[in-house]
Amino acid sequence: MTETVQLFITCLIDSFFPQVGEAMVHVLNRAGVRVEFPSAQTCCGQPAFNAGLRSEAMALGRHTIRVFEKTAGPIVIPSGSCAVMLRQGYLELFKDDPAWLRRARGLAERVYEFTEYLVDVLGVNEIPASWAGKLAYHPSCHLLRGLGVDRQPRALLAAVKDARIVELPEGEDCCGFGGVFSVEHPELSAEFLKRKIANLEKTGSPTLVVADTGCLMHIQGGLSHQGKSQRVMHIAEILNHQ
Amino acid sequence: MNPQTFRDRIRESIRDVNLQLALDNNATRRKDGREAAFASLPDYQERRKRAHAIKADIVDHLDETLEQFIRRVSANGIQVHRAADAEEAIRIFMDIVHSSEADALHGTKVNPLLIAKSKSMVSEEIDLNHSLEAAGCHIVETDLGEYIVQLRGERPSHIITPAVHLRRRDVGRLFEEKLGIPYTEDIPELTRVARKVLREVFLNAQIGVSGVNFGVAETGTLCIVTNEGNGRMCTTLPPVHVALMGMERLVPTLDDLALFLSLLPRSATGQKLSVYTNLIHSPLPGQTRHLILLDNGRSALRVSPLAESLYCIRCGACLNACPVFRETGGHAYGSIYPGPIGSVISCALVDPALASLAQASSLCGACKDACPVDIDLPQMLLRVRSGMSPQIAPHKIKEGVGIPFAVKMGLKGFSIAAGTSRMFAFFQTLGGLLCRVYSPRGATMRLPAWTGWGLGRDFPRIALHPFRTRWGKIRQVVETGSAQLAEKQVFAEPAAQPLYKSLADQFITELAALGGQTHLVSENELPDRLTEFLKAKSIEQVLADECGAGFLNGIPAIMKPDPSVKAGITGALAGISETGSILLTSGAGETLTASLLPEIHMAVLRISQLVPTLEDALRNPAVRVAASAVIITGPSRTADIEMTLTIGVHGPGELHVFLIDDSKAV
Repeated sequence: MTETVQLFITCLIDSFFPQVGEAMVHVLNRAGVRVEFPSAQTCCGQPAFNAGLRSEAMALGRHTIRVFEKTAGPIVIPSGSCAVMLRQGYLELFKDDPAWLRRARGLAERVYEFTEYLVDVLGVNEIPASWAGKLAYHPSCHLLRGLGVDRQPRALLAAVKDARIVELPEGEDCCGFGGVFSVEHPELSAEFLKRKIANLEKTGSPTLVVADTGCLMHIQGGLSHQGKSQRVMHIAEILNHQ
Repeated sequence: MNPQTFRDRIRESIRDVNLQLALDNNATRRKDGREAAFASLPDYQERRKRAHAIKADIVDHLDETLEQFIRRVSANGIQVHRAADAEEAIRIFMDIVHSSEADALHGTKVNPLLIAKSKSMVSEEIDLNHSLEAAGCHIVETDLGEYIVQLRGERPSHIITPAVHLRRRDVGRLFEEKLGIPYTEDIPELTRVARKVLREVFLNAQIGVSGVNFGVAETGTLCIVTNEGNGRMCTTLPPVHVALMGMERLVPTLDDLALFLSLLPRSATGQKLSVYTNLIHSPLPGQTRHLILLDNGRSALRVSPLAESLYCIRCGACLNACPVFRETGGHAYGSIYPGPIGSVISCALVDPALASLAQASSLCGACKDACPVDIDLPQMLLRVRSGMSPQIAPHKIKEGVGIPFAVKMGLKGFSIAAGTSRMFAFFQTLGGLLCRVYSPRGATMRLPAWTGWGLGRDFPRIALHPFRTRWGKIRQVVETGSAQLAEKQVFAEPAAQPLYKSLADQFITELAALGGQTHLVSENELPDRLTEFLKAKSIEQVLADECGAGFLNGIPAIMKPDPSVKAGITGALAGISETGSILLTSGAGETLTASLLPEIHMAVLRISQLVPTLEDALRNPAVRVAASAVIITGPSRTADIEMTLTIGVHGPGELHVFLIDDSKAV
C-alpha cells in the first residue's frame, strides 16, 4: 500500500527555494510515498515565537493546526527548525491553554523532519542518487540538538553515488542565522557566519549540504556577499540528483 | 541595559583582537576539556537527568529543604543569617565586621580590617567589595583570576575564570605596574608572585569570605570547591569565616552531593574533581563561622516560568559553549552573570533592564547540550523574550522584550500577512515583483547595512513562482521497491573502560595523571622511606598533625601552623581510586593546616583505606561528624591565566602519598 504524507513546505522554501520543495516531492515519490500539499498553509509562526511575540505566534500556530487537522497521516517538513516548532514549540506556546494544547499534541505526534521520516519511519537508508565531487554537511542547530537528528542525513548522504563526504570543522557550531537574531544582532550573526564559511573553505568542498532552510538562506547569503563560488544545497536537491 | 549600549559593547568586543584570541582559546580548550572529562563518566546522560530531577524537587520544596538545612547548620554551631536582598546582606556583613573589629581591638591586629576573600559569585551579585571598601575595610581577592581583575579595577568576565578576557602579557604588565616586579610573561613566575603577596593576606586577615557551591540539607554541610587552595585558606586561617550562599544552592544528601560533584568540576574545568573539595560542618576551635543565605530575587524567580534557571550549579559550561559569549566575552553583558544563564537570571537577580540580554542568542542550543543539569536554556531565553521574567513592574513589560521597534513591527506585519494563504500568496507575488525591481539581474539582493541582514550577507529574491503555484504542475510518480530498506542497525558496544588490576593500581594511575606521586611501601619500610625522602629534599622540620607525627622517626615535628616549614605530613581517612583523591578530616587541633600551608604535602594511607568512588568515601560516618573535611585531588593548581595549567598556587605544589601495602595482611 502506498504511504501518503502531508507536506509542510515552510514559508522560506515556498517563497525563496521552491525547487527544494519539488526535489523533496520527487525523492519521497522515489521512496514509495505519495505527497499531499494542504494549500491553506502559510508560516508556522516561529519568527514571531523566537522574538517573544507569542500572541502573533499563537495566531499562526492555530492556523497551522487547523489546516493540518483536516488531513491525515505523517506531516513531513524539509527543515529541522520548523519541525521543532511544530513538535515542541507549539507545546510551549499553548502550555496554558488545555484545549489548544491537546490539539497541538495531536499535531506534534504526526510531525517528522524529511530525513528523519525517510530513515526512521520508512527504514530507507539509500535513495538512488549520484553526485560527482565533494560534499560537506552542516548539521543545523535545531535539527541536531532540537530533534537529535544527525545520523539520518549523514547516512543518506553517505549512500549517494560518487559523492565524497568531507567533515566540516567545527561543524556543530551555529551559522548565526537564529531568525530575528540575524537582523537584531547582525554583528554577532555575521561573525558566526565568517567562521562557518572559513571552515567550509578548509574542507575544499564546493558544496555545503544542509537540511534546514534558515541556514541555507544565511550561509548562501554570506557566500554570495563575499563573492565565493561555493554553493549551499538542501539535502533534498542532492538526493534528487541523478 | 539599553539594547543599543549592548550592541555598542558587542561591536567593541569583536574589534578587540586580543580579546578575540583569548576567547577563542577559552572556547576550544574548555570544550575539549569537558568532553575528555565526561568520557570517564559513561552514564553521564543518566546522571544529568538525575541531577535535573533532584534540583527540580529542591526548587519545588525550597522552603522545607531550606528550613531543614538551616536547622542542621545552626545545630553544627554556624551562625545563620537570611538576607532578603543585597542591601540586607551587606548590612548583615557589616554587623559581623563591626563585631570582629571590636574583637580585634583587644588584640594587636592591624587596622584597617583585612578581609581575605575566595571566589564567590554571590559576593559579586551584592557588590560586597565596593561596600566594604567604602566602609574602610581592605578586602583582597585571593583566587588568582579574581586577584588579577581586582588589581585592574574590573569585575570578573566569567563565572569560573574571571580573567578569561586577558592574556599573559596583560597580566605581566599589570603585575609590573601594581606589584613592582620586573615585566614577565612567565605564567609560573606570575603565579609565584601572587602566591607570595597573598600568603601574607591569608596569615593576617581577620575575616575570611567564601562562597558555597553546595549546601547539604541532611547534614548541614557547606561544600566549597577550589583548585588553588585559597578557599581552604580563607575558611581555616582567619578567626572569622563568612560564607555567602544563594538560597537555592542545596542538595538533599551527601549521596546527592557525590552526584553533583561528579558533574560540576568536569563541566567547569574538565577535572574529575577539583583539587580541594571542602566539606565544612562546624567552626574550628577558636573560630567563628557565619552563613549568609541570599534571596535577592530567587523567591520571585522560583514562582515564575523561569524557575528552572534555579537548578544552575554555576559551572560556566554554557558560557564556554556559547557562540555569542565566544565573540563578546563577559563584560559586554553588563551583568556579573554573563552568557546564556546570565541572560536568563540577570533580569531577576541584578536588574530588570537586563531582560534585553535574552535577545543575544541564536537559540542554537549549545548551552542546553553543555548544561550538566539539563536546564532548557533556549526555552528560558524564549520566555524572557516573551516578558515572562519576574519584573518589578509587570505592566511595563510587553511581549518581545528587547527587540527594536522596527523589527517588532516587521514581524507583526509578517504575521498578519501570513494569517491566510490568500494574503500570503498575494504578498509573495508582490514581494517577488519588488525584488525584481530592486535587483533586476542578480539572483540575490545586496541590502544596506542598516537592515542588519546587509551586514555580510546577501538576501535571496522571492521566487516569481513560489512552491504553492508550482504544486499543481508537479507530476508524482510513486515508485515501489527502488529505495533501499535500512539494514538492522547494529550498535557498537560502549567502549570498555580501562580495567585496573586493583584499587591501588587505579589510585596510583589517577594521582600520577594529576602530578601527584605515590610511594608504595610496606608497613616496616615506612619510617626509613620517609627519612630518605626528607633527607633527599634537605628538610629538617615537618609540620604534622597528630596522626602524621606518629609516622615520623626522629624528625622534629611542628604541631603549630608555621608557614616557614617546607613540608607537612598527615594521615588520611580514605583514598578514592576513581579520582586519585585522599580524604582528610579535621580531628583535634590543627589537622588540616599540615596539608595546606607547606609546599610539600606527604600523606600516609593504607591500601585497605582505598574505596572505589567519591560516593563511597562520603558514606564514611567520620565525614559527617568532622568539623571539616577535605578531599584533596592532586597538587594545588590554577589555569586562570590563558587556561595554562600551573601547579602550586596557594596550597602545596607537591603531593606525595605513602601508600602502605597492607593488602596481604587483610
